[in-house]
Formats: sequence, C-alpha cells, structure tokens
Amino acid sequence: MKFQTSTFIVSILMLAITPLGAAESAKKADSPEFVRKAALKIDTYVAAWYRQKKLPVPAVTDDSTFLRRAFLVGIGRIPTTEEGMFFLEIEDDSKRVDLINYLINSEGYSSHMTNWMFDLLRIKDDMARVSSGRNPYRSWVGNAVEKNMPWHELTTKLLSSKGSLWGKGEAPVGYYLRDQGMPLDNLANSMQIFLGTQMECAQCHDDPFGDTERHDFYELAAFTAGQNPAALARKARPLYEEARLEKNRGKTKSKVVELIRYQILEQTLFSGGSGRIRLPSDYQYRDGDPGEMIAGRTPFGKTVRMSDRENGDDGREKLAEWVTTKTEGQFPAVMANRMWKRIMGRGVYEPINEYVVAKDTNIPGLMNYLTTLMVEVDYDLRAFQRVLLNTKTFQFVPNPNPPKVQNGDDFHGRQLTRLSAEQIWDSLITLAGGNPDKKPKRTLDDRVRIGRNGRGSVVPGLSMAKLSDEVLKLKTVGELDAYCEELVKEVGGGGKRKKSGSDSMMMTQEIRNYGKGAQVRASELPSPAPKDHVLFLFGQSGRDTVNGANSEPNVSQVLTLMNGFVQQQLVNNPSAHIYRSLKDASSPAEKVRRLYVGILNRPPSDEEMSWMMDEVKISGDTDDAYRNILSALVMSSEFLFLQ
Amino acid sequence: MKKSDANKLSELDRRRFMSYAAKCYLGVNLFPMLGSGVGNAAEISGAKAKRVIYLYMGGGMSHVDTFDPKPKKKDIMGETEAIATSADGIQIGHYLPKTAKVMDKVCVVNSMTSNQGAHEQGSYIMRTSYAPRGTISHPTLGAWTLKLAGRLNPDIPGYVAINGGGGGGGFFGAKFGAAPIGNASAGLQDSSKPSSVGNDDFERRLSLADRLNKQFHERYVNSEVKGYEDLYSEAVRLMSSEDLKAFNIGGETQAARKHYGSGRFGQGCMLARRLVEHNVRFVEVYLGGWDTHYDNFAGVEARCAEFDAGYSALISDLAERDMLKDTLVVVATEFGRSPEIKAEHNNGRDHHPAAFTCLLAGGGVKGGFKYGKTDAGAARVKTNPVPVQDFNATIAHALGIPHDQVIMSPTKRPFRMADKGSPVKDVFA
Repeated sequence: MKFQTSTFIVSILMLAITPLGAAESAKKADSPEFVRKAALKIDTYVAAWYRQKKLPVPAVTDDSTFLRRAFLVGIGRIPTTEEGMFFLEIEDDSKRVDLINYLINSEGYSSHMTNWMFDLLRIKDDMARVSSGRNPYRSWVGNAVEKNMPWHELTTKLLSSKGSLWGKGEAPVGYYLRDQGMPLDNLANSMQIFLGTQMECAQCHDDPFGDTERHDFYELAAFTAGQNPAALARKARPLYEEARLEKNRGKTKSKVVELIRYQILEQTLFSGGSGRIRLPSDYQYRDGDPGEMIAGRTPFGKTVRMSDRENGDDGREKLAEWVTTKTEGQFPAVMANRMWKRIMGRGVYEPINEYVVAKDTNIPGLMNYLTTLMVEVDYDLRAFQRVLLNTKTFQFVPNPNPPKVQNGDDFHGRQLTRLSAEQIWDSLITLAGGNPDKKPKRTLDDRVRIGRNGRGSVVPGLSMAKLSDEVLKLKTVGELDAYCEELVKEVGGGGKRKKSGSDSMMMTQEIRNYGKGAQVRASELPSPAPKDHVLFLFGQSGRDTVNGANSEPNVSQVLTLMNGFVQQQLVNNPSAHIYRSLKDASSPAEKVRRLYVGILNRPPSDEEMSWMMDEVKISGDTDDAYRNILSALVMSSEFLFLQ
Repeated sequence: MKKSDANKLSELDRRRFMSYAAKCYLGVNLFPMLGSGVGNAAEISGAKAKRVIYLYMGGGMSHVDTFDPKPKKKDIMGETEAIATSADGIQIGHYLPKTAKVMDKVCVVNSMTSNQGAHEQGSYIMRTSYAPRGTISHPTLGAWTLKLAGRLNPDIPGYVAINGGGGGGGFFGAKFGAAPIGNASAGLQDSSKPSSVGNDDFERRLSLADRLNKQFHERYVNSEVKGYEDLYSEAVRLMSSEDLKAFNIGGETQAARKHYGSGRFGQGCMLARRLVEHNVRFVEVYLGGWDTHYDNFAGVEARCAEFDAGYSALISDLAERDMLKDTLVVVATEFGRSPEIKAEHNNGRDHHPAAFTCLLAGGGVKGGFKYGKTDAGAARVKTNPVPVQDFNATIAHALGIPHDQVIMSPTKRPFRMADKGSPVKDVFA
C-alpha cells in the first residue's frame, strides 16, 4: 500500500527539528528536555494518586484513537485521509511526540485556540454599532492568539485598556466597549474569566452561598468606574440630530456624520478608571447608604485601594495588576485548570469558573504543580499545552464509564465528549475540501466606507485608523462639522487629501472577509455564525456569556447531517476531497478502508468491513456505494464524539 | 423509484419508514405512541389554552395609533383617527379596519408598563421575564412552555419561531429552543430527503449508521450518545410524519393566502395556524419595523397594513375552526411610543416604556374586553398596571403552567417563567 505523503513527512521532520512557535522560541519552555521532564512530573503525580487509591493505571491508547484525539484536541479538526494514513502506517518510536510537535506549531493550533479564546472572552463581530467583519478588537484578539501572546500580558492589555477602537494599539479597549452601558456585567465577567470567581449575584445582593457581599462587588467595580466615550461624542449631538432630519437622510454628509459617530466617537474610552463609585439607589445593607460614594478596594489577595477623596485615572491598570500578580496564585491556577480541561476533557476541578484552592482538589500536588508550571513557562499557553499533550495521562485509553468524581477529572482515562460545534464544522470542511489550514486567513477591512454597515463607497487614501486619529484631535463641534464637510468632498473625489502616501500600502492588500457561506475554519467565519449555519445548529456559543457553547443534541443537527449541508457539500459533491483520496485505491476494500481512515480515523474492524462490502455488493463498485458508506459514517455517533 | 416522489414520501413509504425507525431505534412498534405525547403540565383548574401563537411587534408598537387611541386629544393623535369596532366600548386606530371586525374576540391590555426603554433590553424582558445579564442566557417563554408543559405532538418540533427574532432555549439548552423558520414559504430547513437519494439508498444508509451506532453505544453508555440515537428516530419520524405538511403553506389556496396578506408576516400567521392545527405547542411570528422615530404615521400605516390582514385572518380563521377556545393568541411588543409628536423628526414618536398595549385572544380569555387604563394623554398607566412579568404570568396561567415553579440554572440560581409576576385573572372568562 503506497501513499504520497511527502509534504507531511517533510513537515514532521522539519518541525521536529525546528519548532516554530513564538518568535522568541529559544526559551527553555520549548526545549524537548524541559517538555519531557515537566510531562513526566505530571504523570508522576497522577501515578502516585493511583497507588494511593489502589487503582490500576489505565493502558495507553492505540494509534488511531491517539491520532484522532491529538488532531481534534490539538488543532480542532480530524486529519485528512493522507495525514491519517501516513501516521498509522509509519513505524517510528517517536511518532506520537513528532505528531504533537507538528500540530502544536501548526496554523491549525491557532485557529482552534482562537475559537476557544472567543468563547472565553465573548468575542462578537457586532458590538454596539461595529458592523460585521470590521471589528478591530476581534482582529486584535485573533492576532494575539496567533502570536501566542502570554496570558498575563493579554489579560493586562485587556483589563487596563483605554483609547479608541481604531486607535493604533488600542483595539483591546473593545474588551470594555463590548459591554457599553453594562459595566457591572463586564466586571462580573472579568472576575469569572480571569480569576474563576463568580460575583454576578453580588451585583444585586450578598451571595447567600459564598462570601461575596454586594459592598465588595461595588468596591471592585470602583476600579473600572467612569466608562464614558470621548467628550466630543456627547457634544456633537446637534450634528447627529441634523443628520437624522428627513430632508438630510441618505445624504453623504449624514452618512459621514453617522460613520464618525458610531465607528469612531462612540467607540472610545479615555478615562483609565476613577476608582470611585456610588452605591446603587436600592442598596439594602447596613454597611453603606444608597448613593454613597465609595472607593475601590480589592476583596481578597494583597489588598489594593483607590483614593476615596478624589477621582484617579489608573483604576483599571491597578485592577489588572492586582488580578495578575496579587491574587495568591489564583490567576495562574485558573488558567492552568482551563488548559487541563481543554487538553484532558475535564478540569482538575469543576466547574472551571468556580476556583478551588489546590489543597481542596482531588490531587493537590498536581494542581500545585500545574500552577507552578504556568508561571514557569511565563504564561505561554502553547508551551503549557505542549507539556500536557506530551503526558502519558493524555494518552490513556478512553474511559467508557460515567465520571465517578463529580467535581473534577477522575484521571481514569478520557471521558467521552461530543465534539464542539467548531470541531464538527472544521472536520466537515476537511472532508469536503482537504486541509483547511492552507487557506488564507481573514483580514481586517480597514477602509473607510461611507454608508450603512460599512458597505458603502470607499474613501480612497484614508484608513479607519487615520480617520480615527484625525477625528479625535478635533476639539469643537465646529471643527468636527468642518471636518465632515471636507470628508464629503473626499467621497466625491475632490478634497485636499493626497491620494498617495503611507496609507496606500494598506489599500493594495487584498481584503478577505469570509461570509457565512465560505468553507473556511470556524475561526475565520462571522462570530457567532448566523442562525442557519451548521455551527449554530451544533451549539456554538452565542458569545454573550463566558464559555456559552453547548453540546446538546437537537433534531436540526440530525437533519443537517441526513439531508442538509453534509449531503450538499460532501456526499453529493463528486469533487469532495474525501472522494479524491479514493481515486488510486486498488480495491473496493481499500476504498472502504480509506473512507474509514478519512472519517473515523481508524481502519474498519473485520465485522464492519463485511457490512460495508455488503453495501458494495448491492450498489456495485460505484459512486453510489461509497456515497452511502460515507453518509453512514458521518451520521454515526462515533463521528460526533471524541474518545 | 429513485427519482420519483423524491421529496415527499408516499403513505406507504411513510409507514415503512415508521416501522423501520421503530424497529431500528426503539425495538418497538411506534404506532401506538402516536398522538399520545400529552403535556405533563400540572393542571391548573380552568386553564383552557393548549397552544400559543405569540406575535411579536419588534421596535415598539405605537399604542396611541393602534389600540389605545385618545380621540379627543388631537395634539397626541396627529393624523390618526379612532374607529369603532365589533366590541362595544373599544375603539382602535383607523389603520386597522379588518382587525376592528374581530375585536369582539380580543382582550386589550392598555396598562402594560416596563422599566426597559431600549430595544434589546425591552424585548429580552418581554420574552424571558428577566432583564438581560451578561452572565446568563434566560430561556424564552416558548422554551419555558416546552420545559414545563412538554410537547403536544411528539413528531414535530414543539416550538417554532417564524421570521427570526428569537427563540433561544437559554440555559435549558438547544433542545428547548425554537426550530427556526426564516421564510414561511420555504418551510423547515433540511426536513426533506435530498432529491438525488433514492429511498432504498436512504434506508440502507440509516441501517448502516444504525449498526455502527449500536456498536458504539455498547462501548459507551452515555446519555448524549443515547440522545443522538433517539434523534435519528425522531428525525425520520419527522421527515415521514404526516404533520410535516404543516410546514408547507403551499397547500393553502391562493384565496386563503391572499386573505392573510402576501407579506412575510401574513404568510407567517398562516403557517402559525397550520402549525397549531398540528399541535405545535408554541409558535412565534415576528413583525419588525415599529421603531417609528421618524415619520411615525407613514411607518405605522405600513406596519398596520401587514398586521391588519394577518391578525384579523388568523383570529377569524381560528374562530371558524373552533380552535380559538384552546389557542391563545398574544400580541406583544417591547414598549409603546411617546404620545408627544416630534415635529422636528417629521412627526416621529420616541420610545415609551411607561405605558403601552398588548393583546390577548382565545385560550379562555374574555373577548371584547379592555383591561387597565392609561391617563387622558396615554402617557401613564392610570388603573390596573400590568408589568411585563404579570403579563407573562398570565400567559402561563392560560396554559395551566405553574408560573411560579422554580427551575435552577446550571449556575444554581433560581428562575421562574414569569420571574415574580402574578397572573391577571380578570382577563379570563
């Protein structure tokens, strides 16, 4: 059985020698020796736990289960038939380690991680008035994941962000702008995301189940208080009103004013957090009065305070510093546990959004070590995951039994989980189109477009960044009005602006903005996908709440597998990649085998082969037979689950 | 056989599929089960409604120009005039002549009041009884209804949302969410077999998949895996269900379709009627465009033209079929519009959550009845205020659902279908 897999061989060999990863990859966390030792240490903790509980150590899984698991966990899609055949056929002691290295350094890793980060941070294309495909914040977070920005750096940039959405280096301010008008919800989410602490109850009342009091919540909220857009955004009201008059509707001037209002002026947050906030008018406890002004004070860890006499301007910076460095190891531990869940299927403790101190987890030594490791790799999430993927624990045979331990991983092999919506979509497009990671990524449409939803005519020679810069330098409504008039002339082709210059670089780049019909990775599609998309049907997070995805079955999923997307784009598509891989197969049995490896990533059992050959007997060695087999394999539960 | 009857299965095929599905997936004969999926709602005595058609007016329907006119106050009425209706003492805006003829079957709640003045927040609270929080996604009324009362027809989805606009299962999960219908004329997405697949091929595919699944399920005893196993039989049942034709409004006569109005809303109302006839528990139909900040009167006239045809046809059709007695038809919106007319916005009206109007009809509700009053200027509620949660509790009450039953979210917080609202019992006959 011969197979052309040269690029994959080359990839594996090359990458095994020179890991790509973050640019500064000479770090010790990337050295094979470090990875091996750290992985061994984790396995030692797990093994000691087995000894202590007098449990047998689970066996290591076979190659095909490992293959599918490594691809889906590492890069979020199944392997192509070629990738699968190659891995299963070569005999090499280090092939599992090589595969992990190949995957973790590939484009696919970033794509898969981007989905995960979008779920955690609730990244939506449409926030406030920012229209689809033109959200610099989404783009910024995607780039941060691609560049493998360390988690403490990313956290600091988000929490202490200020400026304007289109300002140079200021896109992280989208973290706050995303929740415009709902700063308390934003804060409750921050506590959940970064510290695994649920405080949302305390927005309205003392938490009856925990320690958090409403007063604590407001003291924390004080750090982020004072979230108003640029002063000009408010002062320009007469201009907006004028633009909305019946006689002016549809005029270029009105469109220019609305663009500047919604995309620039209202997408700003210049104050850095006043550190003082008023208790709400329905405040009900004795430790404060409704409307009383209180100052920022952190609820646990090393206490950080803000002045109660005057407004500060560094509240959010101080909050970021407290979260990342003054919470007694909670910050690294929460992310270490999130990463454990991502790689192993369940958190060391569960639910992952409710932090449990290491000594109260099932294997305290392990939780402590994972926390230390997170700090040791400098919050490099790729390096951290590489260690986990290299453990024997990751390779345990799947555990067919329901979990025995309710509040976390029972370390007894991987629990069966349904693939995420993104894993299902990315796997389907792999079957339909081959390796999707070769396709170019989406780019941020940075052009100034006059008209609704950023779809109108383009203003030549001007980028949104530049427009933002210029507008935010204006001081008065009069200046703004004059600027708008000038821009109207630009749109008409007049105006004083030079048509060449530094911005023209941007103009020559191709703008790629994938719509819902594109067969590209989920991470490149609109976020979240629209309501008739496979991603929606399979429970993609609406990205309104932290980790909002669900994997519940519903009848529409089954219908789309039976009759919808899968039929149109895969089963009935003669040029689907999976069919191409059958072309040079020597026999019907070999075709069946390739379908199995392509879809379920394992060869068929003898019994299954006989079932499938029965189908070939009925339909003949024809396209119909393989269509039917493909269809059945994609409809099988095994395709939808990760073992 | 391969290309004929491609999308529609004949009766014989249907039977074959049914018994096939039953054999394959359940190991039993399915037929005795059909039609026995009776809801499990705790009976509230006197509850008459079995099904709900929830018509949502997105953007904030002007109460002054529709169901709460103040004929003597020319300054707030603008171009709108009040007309008499088939119900004594009820007048409505002149844009609704057909609706005027069915008002004897409708209960007008003029004293709605909300504390949410923005669209997203306002419609969220109308649909879920809760203000939006960034930390949890609340189930909509339809999802609550399915959760607490169950489906009436096990073969087809129990909750359908037409023309978009909502339908999330919230923290109950997708299983309680609406099956979305983007376009009433196109029916249910992916519910028919692709024309290129013959029935024999289709059966063999299912049979192969079934063998694979059996094998997989033997290895893993897991409720999610079981969930998919069950759904295949549900999907096959749905595809081969007689009731699937409920989704096809092509079966209606041209005259009937015209009666409802040719727009998306009218056609949606007709689809809703077909669905409740087939015992779908909760159907939502969305009509947007009520946000008449500018040129209110032209906007209201256009919206009303769509509404008038669809709503009046729906009410009279249900009444003729004797279905109004156990079908509750709700007209809801997030808020009303300011009585004050903004001349500078070409006679527009702004958001007005303090007082607005919703409608109830059927399902045991008194017809030709007005509940609550606004003041002379239609600005404030004067008598019997109905907060959003009370309105939703009333819907629950009509269905016999305990509106105060607590369901814990996965984050272990308690929620109720109508939050802390109480039903307005005076509206029931």
